[in-house]
Amino acid sequence: MKPLLEVHNLTTNFHTQDGIVKAVDNVSYDVNVGEAIALVGESGCGKTVSALSILRLIAEPPGKIVSGEVLLDGTDLLKLSPDEMRKVRGAKISMIFQEPLTSLNPVLTIGRQLTEGLELHKQMSHDEAEREAINLLRLVGISNPEGRINNYPHQFSGGMRQRVMIAIAIACRPQLIIADEPTTAVDVTIQAQLLELIKGISRQYNTALMLITHNLGVVARYAHRVFVMYAGKIVEHGSALEVYHYPDHPYTAGLLASVPRLDEPRKTRLLPIKDQPPDLILLPTGCAFHPRCNYAIKRCIDEVPSLYEVDRNHYSACWIAQTGQKPWQKKSS
Amino acid sequence: MVAIPKTEVVAVRPHHTIWGDAVIRLRRNKLAMIGLAFIVFLSLIAIFAPLITPFSFSDQNYYEVLEGPSAKHWLGTDQLGRDTFARLIYGARTSLSVGIFTQFIVLCIGLPVGAISGYAGGKIDNALMRFVDVMYAFPDLLLVILLSSVFRGTYFGGSIYMIFLAIGLVAWVNIARLVRGQILSLKTRDFVSAARAMGGMGNYITWRHLLPNALGPVIVSITFNIPRAIFTEAALSYIGIGVKPPNPSWGAMINDGFSLIFAKPYMLIFPAIALALLMLSFTFLGDGLRDALDPKLRR
Amino acid sequence: MFRFIVRRILWLLLVLFVVLLITFILMHLVPGGPWDREKALSPRVIELLNRRYGLDQPLWEQFANYLWGILHGDLGISYSYSDRNVTDILLRGLPKTATLGILAFILAQGIGIPFGMAAALKQNSAIDYVSVMFATIFASIPGFVLGILLMILFSVTLHWLPTSGWGSVQQLIMPVFCLAALPAAQSARITRASTLDVMRQDYIRTARSKGLMENVVRIRHIFRNSLIPVVTVAGPELANLVTGSFIIENLFAIPGIGRLFVNGIAARDYSLIMGAILFYAFTIAILNLVVDILYAAIDPRIRYD
Repeated sequence: MKPLLEVHNLTTNFHTQDGIVKAVDNVSYDVNVGEAIALVGESGCGKTVSALSILRLIAEPPGKIVSGEVLLDGTDLLKLSPDEMRKVRGAKISMIFQEPLTSLNPVLTIGRQLTEGLELHKQMSHDEAEREAINLLRLVGISNPEGRINNYPHQFSGGMRQRVMIAIAIACRPQLIIADEPTTAVDVTIQAQLLELIKGISRQYNTALMLITHNLGVVARYAHRVFVMYAGKIVEHGSALEVYHYPDHPYTAGLLASVPRLDEPRKTRLLPIKDQPPDLILLPTGCAFHPRCNYAIKRCIDEVPSLYEVDRNHYSACWIAQTGQKPWQKKSS
Repeated sequence: MVAIPKTEVVAVRPHHTIWGDAVIRLRRNKLAMIGLAFIVFLSLIAIFAPLITPFSFSDQNYYEVLEGPSAKHWLGTDQLGRDTFARLIYGARTSLSVGIFTQFIVLCIGLPVGAISGYAGGKIDNALMRFVDVMYAFPDLLLVILLSSVFRGTYFGGSIYMIFLAIGLVAWVNIARLVRGQILSLKTRDFVSAARAMGGMGNYITWRHLLPNALGPVIVSITFNIPRAIFTEAALSYIGIGVKPPNPSWGAMINDGFSLIFAKPYMLIFPAIALALLMLSFTFLGDGLRDALDPKLRR
Repeated sequence: MFRFIVRRILWLLLVLFVVLLITFILMHLVPGGPWDREKALSPRVIELLNRRYGLDQPLWEQFANYLWGILHGDLGISYSYSDRNVTDILLRGLPKTATLGILAFILAQGIGIPFGMAAALKQNSAIDYVSVMFATIFASIPGFVLGILLMILFSVTLHWLPTSGWGSVQQLIMPVFCLAALPAAQSARITRASTLDVMRQDYIRTARSKGLMENVVRIRHIFRNSLIPVVTVAGPELANLVTGSFIIENLFAIPGIGRLFVNGIAARDYSLIMGAILFYAFTIAILNLVVDILYAAIDPRIRYD
């Protein structure tokens, strides 16, 4: 079955005073209909930029989508005219942003921000749209939706604003929702609720989901497949369970080791990955991860590794993994 | 497989301090540099005025009244036989000194008032801000005029110090408000908590941590205050309650020349253009400073 | 909202009281009095005049009487315009000053705001550079300097426009333009800066991600938000307009309140001075109140305080 969304060799650059930042470097991933994938990595690794590139929301100076294809149901989004692209946004693909506190227009009512998409894409009348907006608010768990529809964003808490964002995203029943770190800016108790909500909605409407996050706990529970990014490139991808239990890349292993886990004894040390992520203008030679990698060999400094199917349907961009050895996998869990 | 030791150095981008960065950015701003150049140029002319022209601004020569530009009098003479060019460049002294020295008064009053108000908070803050609000409601030019009239009758009467005081006593209000606003916003910011956590307390917090950050907008505001002060002095002199003649002032020259606007327009043009250029220069400089010191534009 | 307005009006009255008090004190600190003439009048005459006009009463009594008078619309008698009522004199000057101010305001916002927005929306284009250039220049050159230069150009050299007076359209052109130049430039700069700022905000990205048409994004999302700072600075801008009008009136010999004020200062005409200052302070205060209300109407965030 053909995937719903295919990203092939996407490259997006930013021109800054100090040089060209290759935020997204030859990245490929795909999402199937109704599937949930996760895009994982540290801050600044390019996950958000790749998502914005899909929707072509990159500010043209200083950014530029340099090459690649983004196929939605076979149509290359990068080649569409601005008008055609607008019809895709909100209607076929919608996005939930990270910062609920600044992602809503402060001078418009919540109702208006819901109905404008409905009136545009679904050609609803004002009254129909308002009724649907109330339904949407109820769907995302906001009490007294009839009353709150005329409230302004500042009258909602962060968690509730994020629910409104979810409502906006699902309003026109898109085929794919991109959720960019939807729970990072919200407290832990709300995080779980929001994720359950997003997952529930996507299941209910058979909407594909692309979850962008640096939180590995989320990955394990909500995604079918996961793509790990580092310094603008995909370094590993496979099914979520496999990657989680048998990471084929030292970076992924490092990420997993730095997160506290309930199934490990409490006294187990958390092992952070040493040093900082690289400056995207002054990338190291060869594998971008090698300065922080405990297992780097000479080849890692010399050649940029490419993605290789190390196990079945499990790919890794690591020279060591490609030789069959995975010294970072200490024991099977 | 043996892991090799890390011997390479991870490359790092060059680091700039906040002031160093600001200077670099300012230098790059062409308009600001042009403005600065003009200000320096005019200042030099004003300082070395006696070396540039043999005439003084007050020498009257009844045989050479209302002459046009000539070799002897480069810009001609006015109705009292005074050399226009001399009055123009000595007038620069008046304008520049009013612009700059007024700011000292503004800072002497405004900075402490604003800082105390912002840091102390509570009743002191309230009282001071109510006072500021009232002063704000007063149309500032009119207040300056009133003060000027009052001072004229006193000992200073008609001297330039009176103008410094009149303008300064009205203009400090804006700076006080600005400083207070800065301190208030900084007080709640994270790095003050960090400083406190490290044991800083009371005055130490204010001086060491808050003021350097609050300074940016204050510097910009002062730079924009200068042309306003210059203009106010010119306006006062134009109306006739500025520096007493024969002290030179571009505003007074405009007033003098006004009745002759049809006959000898050049008497007005030069002081008017000089005033415009000086104010423009300070505005360009102010704009440049504001952009250079804006933390959001830092790399 | 209603309580908000009431509170502000009370505050306004307090401010006006203080303004009058300060003015009164300062005026009486100015040496000399309304009877100063080239040739000094005899002390006996001065004494009689003072008694007639109540100037021999203790100061606080004079002030109290004055305040009482205001409540009845009586601003006293002018000392320089031979016995005429200050209220009448000011009312005669009011239409000119008001017309000048209103026209200048409309012109200023009508040019400033659209250009500011256009400059921001088409950043780094020709219209951006030109607007910014003009805005910077006109924001720095005071109206009265501009007035002189324009006068020399259009009246002296080209003989197209008259230099002074009031009544015809030609006489209005230069004064209104000169008065409007500065606020127009300031509006343009603020609108441009705030529009640029709004354009960078997350919620604009959200709006675009919904697939909204670009002009909807501009009007409903960008414009509504970028106008907020413009309204906020409208207060000080109006104050500038008011004080600016007074200089322009003097320059173009327009018989408005500004001229009356300057003449009053020179003649130590206490009641005229007080009356003029009262007018200006009152106007500024009312305009500020209107601006505050407008601001609350535009920005829902401050409405619910």
